[in-house]
Amino acid sequence: MRKGMAGLVTVLFCGALLAGGCAKKEMVKGEEGVVPPVTTEKPSETPPAKPSIKEEAVKEQPIKEAQAATETGKEQPVTAQAATELEKVFFDFDSFILTQPSRDTLSKNAKWLLKNSQVKVQIEGHCDERGSDEYNLALGEKRAKSAMNYLVTLGVPANQLSIISYGKEKPADPGHDEAAWAKNRRDEFVIIK
Amino acid sequence: MKKFLVGLLLLCIPSLLQAQQGYLEVTAPGNRQMQLAIAQPVSLFGAQNADIAKGISEVFNFDLTLAGPFTVMPAPPSENRSGIRPGEFDFAPWQAAGANLLIKSGYTLSADSLTIEFRLYDVSRGRELVAKRYSGKRGDLRKMVHTFSDEIMLAVTGERGPFTGKIAFVSKATGNKEISLMDYDGHNVQRLTKNSSINLDPDFSPDGRELIYTSYKRRNPDLYRRELFSGTEARISARPGINITGAWSPDGGKIALAMSKDGNSEIYTINKAGKQLARLTNNSAIEVSPAWSPDGSRIAFVSDRLGKPQVFVMNTDGSNVRRLTTSGAYNVSPRWSPKGDRIAYCRQTSAGFQIFVINADGSNDSQLTTEGSNEHPRWSPDGRFITFSSTRSGKEAIYVMRSDGSGQTRVSRGKGADSHPVWSPRWQ
Repeated sequence: MRKGMAGLVTVLFCGALLAGGCAKKEMVKGEEGVVPPVTTEKPSETPPAKPSIKEEAVKEQPIKEAQAATETGKEQPVTAQAATELEKVFFDFDSFILTQPSRDTLSKNAKWLLKNSQVKVQIEGHCDERGSDEYNLALGEKRAKSAMNYLVTLGVPANQLSIISYGKEKPADPGHDEAAWAKNRRDEFVIIK
Repeated sequence: MKKFLVGLLLLCIPSLLQAQQGYLEVTAPGNRQMQLAIAQPVSLFGAQNADIAKGISEVFNFDLTLAGPFTVMPAPPSENRSGIRPGEFDFAPWQAAGANLLIKSGYTLSADSLTIEFRLYDVSRGRELVAKRYSGKRGDLRKMVHTFSDEIMLAVTGERGPFTGKIAFVSKATGNKEISLMDYDGHNVQRLTKNSSINLDPDFSPDGRELIYTSYKRRNPDLYRRELFSGTEARISARPGINITGAWSPDGGKIALAMSKDGNSEIYTINKAGKQLARLTNNSAIEVSPAWSPDGSRIAFVSDRLGKPQVFVMNTDGSNVRRLTTSGAYNVSPRWSPKGDRIAYCRQTSAGFQIFVINADGSNDSQLTTEGSNEHPRWSPDGRFITFSSTRSGKEAIYVMRSDGSGQTRVSRGKGADSHPVWSPRWQ
């Protein structure tokens, strides 16, 4: 790495900040005819300075974008589609506790899941935009887990369900008011194949 | 050298004696700034080139205005002799103009090859402080100037500047959150990921050669480790549930992160390969966002074990947990300063998120931002600056400020929202 760098940016001389406040000494190794050494400066006894540019030579080692062809889409092993038969459930601010309306919704969802036991469903936990994104990822997961645990207590087999948190990354409503936030604090149900 | 520097500072600014210890509290009340003059860059061989000269002056102006110890003088005085080496110009006009420090630049442009020679002078003593010459391509101009800005900081404060550093960040320019990289001042943006999913929380390895980040590209928030210069990548934690907020330990041996594989989000450490799992917290509350102390002995993190998210500190074996933030109802995103004395974090207020800094012992809690919503504070490697994201001008963009909150400056100019900046370490 250092070699490549030296090729790119060479420090031909370096000096001046020498010890003890004594007379400045520096080595000037000019490109001939371009930079004549200054006659008043004594040559240094110290060896030429080592290259002092310590940055990676970005030019010579291009920072690569991810292999687009293999990364885009194809790495996603599952596809998801919204389970339109399953209703969303909603939460209070900074809460993963199921409200009574949420429990009622989940009871309906459980009936459908029990009737369609071959369908695998992923529960997506979402948050509104107000919290920090890191904390919301953890909170969204708790919301998804709350719904999953409740569905399991209603008899839905756990292996029919999985969870994922999107935190505040996928708002249902892009607005910035309480109406939008209330729609965004939710669990969604998607069918995965 | 130290003696010499102290001599310089005594002459220039008597109140800056603490520079002797190598760190200049530049914006403490009562400190005067050094007047720094940037001489018009001159061609050393061949025709003058206005673009090169302007480019050099602009990069110096941005770096050294932000730096703190300097006031960059607006207009250089006229010179009879405008050489850049000792004896090739006169100090008198610069002394008369009130300059304390003077940067002289001479360039040689030949086809696409550019060589620039920089010299920093102490005007009052008529001495050269540091001189360097860099050769490269014309496109390396900004890098050459940033490199000498770093040298100037070393000469004046005793600590090398961070201006050659890059900032990794999350860019939504494509509509998806992808990881990008740019110079610290927002130039030379490069996209690193291109997977059209959600990519979050970049963090550099201590040598700056690798980056960890969380991606949903395999439909779960997993942790990836990527070699910056080859693009080689490994998925190092794909445990069930979240694998987020990865933070590289100062010695590079471990990564702390939040995972939920055992039920709910807890702090763990793994090694670079994703193995040697150790669990540090065990609590029914949410724990996220670990941040190492620079000596590697402690970890700050966020927990809502008392109801709302607050910043806590523990030893790296999970023992000795204590609460750090005691004001404010919602405190997140801690980051330890490189010198270990302070922790930057983010507080939710009635006016959105704001960035605060608190001493590592919990004292001296102070607010740094007020305008817009401000998140994701991260220190520059010298601790002089904090980069963060802000909505003050509309969409989220990356900003840089001095660690006392002064000099807040927008650096990213992306079309989409830019967030989660992290300043690279110095490349060794």
